[in-house]
Amino acid sequence: MSRLIGIVGVPPLAVIEKINRDGDRIVDLDEPQIRAPIDQTAAHIPRVYCAILRTVVLNSLHLPLDLVYIDVGPGKCDCALHVSDILADLLRVPVIRTRNQDTRSFGYPLCTSRMPLMEKVSRITKSVQSAAPHAPVPPCQPSCGFWGVPPRDFALLDLFPETTHVFGWTRCMENKTPADLELEHQVDPTIPMVFFSQSFCAKSALAKHLADKHPRAIAIDCDVTPSSSTRAKIEAFLELSGVVPDRRHTP
Amino acid sequence: MLLADFGTSYSKILDTAKGDTPLILPTKELPRSFMADLATGHNAGRRSRRSINELTALARGGYALIQRPDFVLLDCGSRDIKFVRFQDGKVADMGWNAECGASMGFTIELLSTYYNLDYAEIPPPTTGFSVTCGVLGMSHIFDAIIAGASEAEAVAGFVRGIALNAYRFAHEPEELYLSGGLCSNPLFVACLPGRVHTLGRFVLLAGLQATLAQDAHPDSLLPGQTKS
Ligand code: SF4
Repeated sequence: MSRLIGIVGVPPLAVIEKINRDGDRIVDLDEPQIRAPIDQTAAHIPRVYCAILRTVVLNSLHLPLDLVYIDVGPGKCDCALHVSDILADLLRVPVIRTRNQDTRSFGYPLCTSRMPLMEKVSRITKSVQSAAPHAPVPPCQPSCGFWGVPPRDFALLDLFPETTHVFGWTRCMENKTPADLELEHQVDPTIPMVFFSQSFCAKSALAKHLADKHPRAIAIDCDVTPSSSTRAKIEAFLELSGVVPDRRHTP
Repeated sequence: MLLADFGTSYSKILDTAKGDTPLILPTKELPRSFMADLATGHNAGRRSRRSINELTALARGGYALIQRPDFVLLDCGSRDIKFVRFQDGKVADMGWNAECGASMGFTIELLSTYYNLDYAEIPPPTTGFSVTCGVLGMSHIFDAIIAGASEAEAVAGFVRGIALNAYRFAHEPEELYLSGGLCSNPLFVACLPGRVHTLGRFVLLAGLQATLAQDAHPDSLLPGQTKS
């Protein structure tokens, strides 16, 4: 019978290949998988902590997992390393720590494609579960850029136009080289860019630093869900940069 | 054409057919059925046929009024603080603080009524409290009064803390344009470091007018727009 394997971050390709070979099912614990208040995790992890890792704990409390692979090396973060201890104590199933330092580039066709940003990032995060090469997708001319990790709440992405190019760790994720700092630093100075980080994440320093150096950029952070002022900031920045934001979902 | 800037405490309304003088009225006195043609601010989406967000209105209004390629404009309202920074005629940075900057303007107004103070008569203090939000800062006032400060001194320390907090939020520019209700508070303005130019309460309305002007002449450029 196939097992349910939880993954946190981007485990090494060899791990994904093994899971696929064994016919097991993968569930991405970084993304909300169940409907339950995130404060249910407060007994295990501080409220003032990366919301993605709080989501990992919330999912782990509810899902019938058989095994967890959690990446804790340079391709993820120290916060995940500490959460791996919490999971190991909390769960009755094996919690295996990995340190993904893969260097084989798979490319990032989705990052430069024309497609609603929410769908683009969903497909990128889903692609982590496969070891197969990416299908080719034609690139588009970018109107703006989104830099960062896939946010805890993808609603943040719905203001961006389809011609948004994706940078930062999300690009590393699609390239299957999550520890590639050089790729993570890549930006496009010719387009307006939004540098996103999760609140309480160490990457917020890099987001601010890169935004300060970029000629037309803002840095934003967001905890569990984007506040109306965060959304308004993105919308105004895009509008004032001559990019037409997608206002269909504006509150 | 009815333009409206719906503030949390006050709404600023301009009927372009009737001249250039906007009407200010408490938002709670606005008829429920009131509907603007173009608006910004609190609930603008529901109370107007078309709305733009407050940062966009602030940037467009500031650019139209200041007419300089480089400036920092800070807007201090009842509920939140916002800033935009222009460089070479383009928006280079912006911020909106509705959480930690919450209710600063509203609290300052409440305090003057509660303690019966006239801010024009209170000199700016040389020291103050470290205040991050209106609500949390109140306890500093009570502590200072218990420690022997006069009510005016304690409130002045609070206002200074709020002014410094807002100034830091705008990244501490040497020269600052200020808009919003707190422009008419002499103590608050005097507590802001650097050179300060007050623009008053109608900058967001000016942003709506700039949007209308652009609609009428699509070839003219709003900030950030480039001819393609
Ligand atoms: S967002 Fe930052 S803190 Fe959170 S899991 Fe990713 S790298 Fe770690």
